[in-house]
Amino acid sequence: MNCLDYRRLLAAGEAETLEMKTHRLQCIACAGQWRENAELERELRAALAVEIPPGFEERLRNAVVLSRRRFLAAAGVAAAAAGAGAYAWLWRDGPLALDCIEFVMKDEAKSILLGAMPRAEAEAALAGTMPLERIERVGQVRHVGPCPFNGAMAYHVVLAVPQGKVTLLVMPEGRVGGTQRASRDGLYASVVELRKGSLGVIGSDSALVKSVVGALRT
Amino acid sequence: MGAAGGLYWDWGSNTMRFDDVVRHLGTDLYRYAFWLARDRQQAEDIVQEALLRGWRAYPRLRSRAAVKSWLFSIVRNEYLRAMETSSRQPQSLDGLDPADERGVDPGVEMREALMALPASYAEPLALQVLGGFSCAEIAAMVGTTEGATMTRLTRARQALRRLIEPVKALRGGRS
Repeated sequence: MNCLDYRRLLAAGEAETLEMKTHRLQCIACAGQWRENAELERELRAALAVEIPPGFEERLRNAVVLSRRRFLAAAGVAAAAAGAGAYAWLWRDGPLALDCIEFVMKDEAKSILLGAMPRAEAEAALAGTMPLERIERVGQVRHVGPCPFNGAMAYHVVLAVPQGKVTLLVMPEGRVGGTQRASRDGLYASVVELRKGSLGVIGSDSALVKSVVGALRT
Repeated sequence: MGAAGGLYWDWGSNTMRFDDVVRHLGTDLYRYAFWLARDRQQAEDIVQEALLRGWRAYPRLRSRAAVKSWLFSIVRNEYLRAMETSSRQPQSLDGLDPADERGVDPGVEMREALMALPASYAEPLALQVLGGFSCAEIAAMVGTTEGATMTRLTRARQALRRLIEPVKALRGGRS
């Protein structure tokens, strides 16, 4: 690198590369130019960093949360419209839905402590049944881990949505044959058939479970 | 597994959750929007709208390593879209006319000097200094060449020097 190259990059404000630094350390004139420039860059950085309005970050967070709520509500409405009576929440306890509740009560904590899967593995494992990206559109994924359930391998997902936390049991093997629901000990579960496999959604609020099922199937 | 008693899943810096993205980049996105719009309320509206669009599209983003430049680009598009739907004329983001500087009185402080710069100069400066983007990255984001971006950045700095040097000379004379 010669002086012309160095000063051209310096004048444009490019971050100093190793090649530039090597030249600067060997050239007194360019080192002087670099020192002069450093002051301008400091002033420029300070001037560009305009003050952030009070409460800005909170308003941003609220706007994103509100958008999620609208998304969940819209998904629920769409699911209701598409499925008509299918989404009427009749609490006839289905055996698999009851097993889902039992899993949350007895085995969820243990499953979390056993550890989460690396993201790449989780993406691959869920891809054919309930893609991870689709789940992430609904809320924040807190945990994905494998768990034996109902005599086969399933995947345990903890999902945080603005209204609270729900547990998903993604079951790639076997189909439930329709929709099952259950309610016990303050928990509500819904198990639905997917194109491939089944999905159990468990939470402490029936409306929340219903809206998450709707959002995930939309 | 990540922190918080093993309950949280650490996906590494390339796969931040959107909430983390908002927390990390919100401030810089606001400042970039401000230097586009030159208006605090409008800058905030632009960033909010851009982040909502970003949230909807986030799961489809293939390379999450590119999330920063992607969000800055959404802010830019949102600014242009907002200008289209309002009666206000957008500042030209493409012009490279030194005549733009003619109406500015020399001898101003750096913040005022930046306010006096045309958006076509201030925008790449904000992307470079606030966003930390290289000339090549800025060129890709604003749809121009790397050479044109370097020229714009060089001229922007030259213009700033011309504007603030009289103040510095005055200060030097007083001391």
